[in-house]
Amino acid sequence: MRLAALLLAGWALALPAAAQGPLDGAALANERQCGACHGLDGRSTVPDMPSLAGQGAEFLVIQLVLFREGLRNAPAMREPARGLSDPQVQALADFYAALPSGPKEDRGLLDAALAARGAQLSAARNCNACHGADYGGRAHLPRINHQREDYLAHALAQYRDGTRVGMDTQMNGVMHGLGDADIAALAHHLAHAP
Amino acid sequence: MIRRHLLGLAAATLALPGLAWAQGAPPAPAWAQGRPAEMAASPLAPHPPRLTVTPPERIPTNALRVPEGFQVELWAHGLPGARVMVRAPNGTIFVGSRGIGRVYAVRDTGTAREVSTFMQGLEAPSGLAMRDGALYVAAMHRVLRVDNVEANLSNPQPVDLTAAFGQATEPHHGWKHIAFGPDGRLYIPRGVPCNICEFDGERFALIESWNPDGGDRRIEARGVRNSVGFDFHPRTGQLWFSNHGRDWAGNDNPSDSLHVNLRRGEHHGFPWCAAGFQDPAVQGRVCNEFPPPVAVLGPHVAPIGTHFYTGAAFPEQYRNALFIANRGSWNRSRLSGFNVVVVREAEGGRLVMEEFLSGLRDDAAQRFTGRPSGLLTMPDGALLVSDEDNGAIYRITYRR
Ligand code: HEC
Ligand code: HEC
Repeated sequence: MRLAALLLAGWALALPAAAQGPLDGAALANERQCGACHGLDGRSTVPDMPSLAGQGAEFLVIQLVLFREGLRNAPAMREPARGLSDPQVQALADFYAALPSGPKEDRGLLDAALAARGAQLSAARNCNACHGADYGGRAHLPRINHQREDYLAHALAQYRDGTRVGMDTQMNGVMHGLGDADIAALAHHLAHAP
Repeated sequence: MIRRHLLGLAAATLALPGLAWAQGAPPAPAWAQGRPAEMAASPLAPHPPRLTVTPPERIPTNALRVPEGFQVELWAHGLPGARVMVRAPNGTIFVGSRGIGRVYAVRDTGTAREVSTFMQGLEAPSGLAMRDGALYVAAMHRVLRVDNVEANLSNPQPVDLTAAFGQATEPHHGWKHIAFGPDGRLYIPRGVPCNICEFDGERFALIESWNPDGGDRRIEARGVRNSVGFDFHPRTGQLWFSNHGRDWAGNDNPSDSLHVNLRRGEHHGFPWCAAGFQDPAVQGRVCNEFPPPVAVLGPHVAPIGTHFYTGAAFPEQYRNALFIANRGSWNRSRLSGFNVVVVREAEGGRLVMEEFLSGLRDDAAQRFTGRPSGLLTMPDGALLVSDEDNGAIYRITYRR
């Protein structure tokens, strides 16, 4: 999190302009240095930082509002989301939604047994029903392929432990009763999905 | 009671994950319990909430339809996620929400409405109630009280009563509607933490009542899967509540329902029976053991606001009639609800249900343009209807 701390120091200066800043998503992302954590092309190379490229705009809007309102608790996102107006949120979401996503190049080697176990769990809990046949998501249901494995595991654990406030409680129910090993398997399976 | 395979296996998975794997497919998760194999690949999922401001020109006020003689206008806007509404003694309307975590305050200047965000950062503050000038806020398992609220609009200092109310912390169906009864007690429902599952009947599927500051908990109604709207009959004082039937049992089953609680502690049927539908996922008890609902509202219509009209401005047949705001379906291949209905007494005391506000559901295109949610009678006899999706409040009046 050293990166986060460094970036936070710069916010005090950056913010006043941003509050009434441009409605161009790319410019806004540049001004608020979103790319430092999420990748300039929306594909993160930083541990624990999610990729945003190709994520559904409706999902991104909702998450940015949840950060802005202080509901989704993520210290690193507090300053970047502070004071964003609704049109700014929409512009940022549209910008990242339009960037092409793809399988992560740095995703490491496939552990076939682990991935198979993840696939079995996913089938049993119908992850595809909501996240799409290819996990590509739709509307407010996020893309969960093309994502960092460490972030996926973190997100799934947060839902299971009730520490992530989402737009509804669907994911809390989905994760009910799963262990850390199950989560590791799911994250590995998803990170290696095409 | 509930078939072993639903929960017996879940327990085994927790204790012995390795073994459960060896035995084959893991159990259905909490949210999907009772989902039959033929619905396993269903693409149905809850609709996305709209958490951003809808500009007034995009609010579908002109599409709204009400019966002959009634008018509907846009009364307030710019309240994303607006749900329940309560009125404080000096006229401030407080508006709760779910996803966006805010409580709004609306002041009517006579010519316009001033909307401000009164509280924010709360988890699903969907329950509001007024008593002696204090606003009670129920946000998931939390209960807060803001004393002398209208004098503290810009700087609320809530008293945290959470410990005194000891609500279960499970998030699913943990958002709630609250209201004071004619007995001066605070009524708080607690939905089941799943779609359908085995649960502790002393903690879930209940409507409880409490002393205003917590303590002296009583179970008023049992077997109530998830009620997010209720009111007390203006003449009899009886508790009338709406209830959400479970998901994944098909497009037309079970129906959501309206009940009257005739005796304290009465059991209304969940998980075995819902609106006459004997649930195939559960064995042990049968529908005729439970009092039937007083009205069957329709499958998946999702009743929220459940409110007796106490004004005098509407025609005679609507006095003390019960209005219900149906937020609308998601777990159904064709949309249902997205309207306001009225349940009223016809000749001979028979209850009839009629559509009262429509125009938000487009059956041909299978899309909706708004989600009615909260209801409130104003002192002048107008009826306010909040629209969660558009962050708007409509006002319905009657002129002959
Ligand atoms: C200091 C690093 C940092 C910066 C700068 C940053 N973010 Fe984030 N962002 C994070 C982290 C860490 C998370 C994951 C939070 C969690 O663990 O739940 C995140 C999560 C998100 C999410 C949710 C993604 C998901 O899949 O759930 C969105 C959307 C987002 N950020 C958008 C932005 C935007 C837009 C900006 C610029 C305005 C920005 N972020 C700037 C660190 C950062
Ligand atoms: C009933 C629909 C539904 C099902 C089934 C479902 N999800 Fe989700 N999922 C959602 C929704 C809705 C969200 C966004 C919730 C929020 O606002 O936090 C989400 C969010 C997520 C996220 C966070 C993504 C991000 O970028 O932050 C992950 C990871 C995820 N789901 C994985 C899974 C897995 C793995 C499964 C199966 C084990 C699954 N989901 C099943 C609806 C579903």
